[in-house]
Amino acid sequence: MTRLTRVLGGAFATLVGLFLIAPVAVTVASSLTATPYVTFPPQGITLRWYAEVFAKPEFLSSFALSAGVALAAAAVSAVVGLAGGLAIHRHRFPGRAALEATLSGAFAVPTIVLGIGLLQWFAQMGLASSPVTLLLAHLVLTVPYAVRLVLAGLAGLDRSAEKAAAGLGAPPFLVFWHVTLPAVRGGLVGGAFFAFITSFDDLTVALFVVTTDLQTLPVRIFNYMQYDYDPTVTAIGTLMVLFAVVAVVVIERFVGVARLFGADTEERS
Amino acid sequence: MTATTPAGTQPRRGRLRLDGVRKVLGGKEVVSAVDLETEPGEFLTLLGPSGCGKTTTLNMIAGHLTADGGLIEVDGRDITAIPPHRRSMGMVFQSYALFPHMTVADNVAFGLRMRKAGAAERRRRVADVLETVGLDGMAGRHPRQLSGGQQQRAALARALVIQPDLLLLDEPFSNLDAQLRVRLRDEVAALQRRIGTTAILVTHDQEEALAVSDRIAVMAGGVIHQLGRPQEVYLRPATDFVAQFIGEVNALDGVATGGGSCEVAGQRVRATPVGDPPAEGARARVYVRPEVVRVGAGTDTEGEGLRGTVRQTRFLGSRIRCVVATSAGEVTAALPYDARVPREGEEVTCSWRPSDASLAARG
Repeated sequence: MTRLTRVLGGAFATLVGLFLIAPVAVTVASSLTATPYVTFPPQGITLRWYAEVFAKPEFLSSFALSAGVALAAAAVSAVVGLAGGLAIHRHRFPGRAALEATLSGAFAVPTIVLGIGLLQWFAQMGLASSPVTLLLAHLVLTVPYAVRLVLAGLAGLDRSAEKAAAGLGAPPFLVFWHVTLPAVRGGLVGGAFFAFITSFDDLTVALFVVTTDLQTLPVRIFNYMQYDYDPTVTAIGTLMVLFAVVAVVVIERFVGVARLFGADTEERS
Repeated sequence: MTATTPAGTQPRRGRLRLDGVRKVLGGKEVVSAVDLETEPGEFLTLLGPSGCGKTTTLNMIAGHLTADGGLIEVDGRDITAIPPHRRSMGMVFQSYALFPHMTVADNVAFGLRMRKAGAAERRRRVADVLETVGLDGMAGRHPRQLSGGQQQRAALARALVIQPDLLLLDEPFSNLDAQLRVRLRDEVAALQRRIGTTAILVTHDQEEALAVSDRIAVMAGGVIHQLGRPQEVYLRPATDFVAQFIGEVNALDGVATGGGSCEVAGQRVRATPVGDPPAEGARARVYVRPEVVRVGAGTDTEGEGLRGTVRQTRFLGSRIRCVVATSAGEVTAALPYDARVPREGEEVTCSWRPSDASLAARG
């Protein structure tokens, strides 16, 4: 690589990075403004809007709801993803191809269509809006990904390794624990991570499923902004960014974000 | 591989017996009534083309497949219905099948952990077996940091460390390049003889089978065509399939004249009957390998051998290939480099030692 291309490449990467980070920077900066309206660059510095967030219990309860549903979505997606992935990869059963096609096709359904459909569906079933219906709605979005990631992990597993483990004296559960599970661990954690983010972030589907008493954080912010466009929303946006950063750092510490998404970081000799 | 395991310290165990073992897969009988019995410490090879049932048979021995009929015994214990983890068999696979997320030491220690061996014992035995297979110093590596040959040594160590009743080898050398394949197979054969574990090898490579086995079971279509020492199977094939599958062969059709004699195109030849000799006057076939055919000058046959005319001679480096047109068809001889090479067109007689050729009934 010549010096010129290296410089150009670096400049391009920097521009892309700036483009991605600019909205976040604007949000964070404008949450500090002293004006009662959102503006950038901020005028004056204050933490008043953060105090406003914590003074509004509906934001806190919405955060608790969002986080709870997101955690549940992550856990359920991991379990269902593992079971579904194993079933599709290991067994030949009637409807297997249809199931796999449905799971692949689920990515293509616009979330707004899904939201409308779920609204009708829950109403007809007489299911009142609750954290459970919200969780069910989010699982429709997240389970297909989890199954995909588990399938990718299983595709990389040599079945002979399981036979070898059995031959060495491992009963079926220990074969699963020591050989199968490590092969799909990255996919499982990735699927759960993705499910958490998707659920925590979702506005479109949630808009159709929630009620005035039961609002996820994105819905709460969306509704709030329709009446009061003050820096409270940028303050809470900043808090959400912080939350995400902490989550990524924690995962990086224990799993490695790159490995989550299947990057091969181990060196070869 | 350096020797550390003292030879002959293991009890002579590992007598495998298969009695009428069958397996149906997808509505097709892939293994039909296989009978087999090994001596303790024997190296036995299941040799055959893909789809002959050899791998299915091995998987039934290992317990990964359940036999649909028949009996599998190890040292007199019926294991037909016992799950693989309660059999004591070390298996080595073509794909190595190491656990990718574990180090070499953890891979090898796996079977010992399953047997609840203490940490100190595990460390000692892992170190010993790694030295035996020539992998000392590699204990902390991950499988992906090893070459193919090293991975297969690690897999072998993992299988041997549990001191299995049987060592099952499923095409273990097929993924290696030609030179390494030969070296590793010879090492494995030497190691197997030193530690005395009964070994069952599955392969489609006839040279590999001939080189390492005490006995070879040649399989096709789910049945054993012939079971015998490498020399027997090679020199005296029992069926067309065995004759064709293991190297080149001259198949001469004739009529049995009792004992090991056969009349081929009006001339008498002799060979060793496989099984019961064909009845006098029955249709019979003589199998002769090119390597055992001698091409003598002249047509004085002393009542034995096949007269003919040399059609072609070709120098092939290790051998001289000589094709003789006889009244029974063409006979190919592979002559050693120092043999007298006949001229093309010369009248000659093809002969062989009766013990170097087989005589079988012909359908």
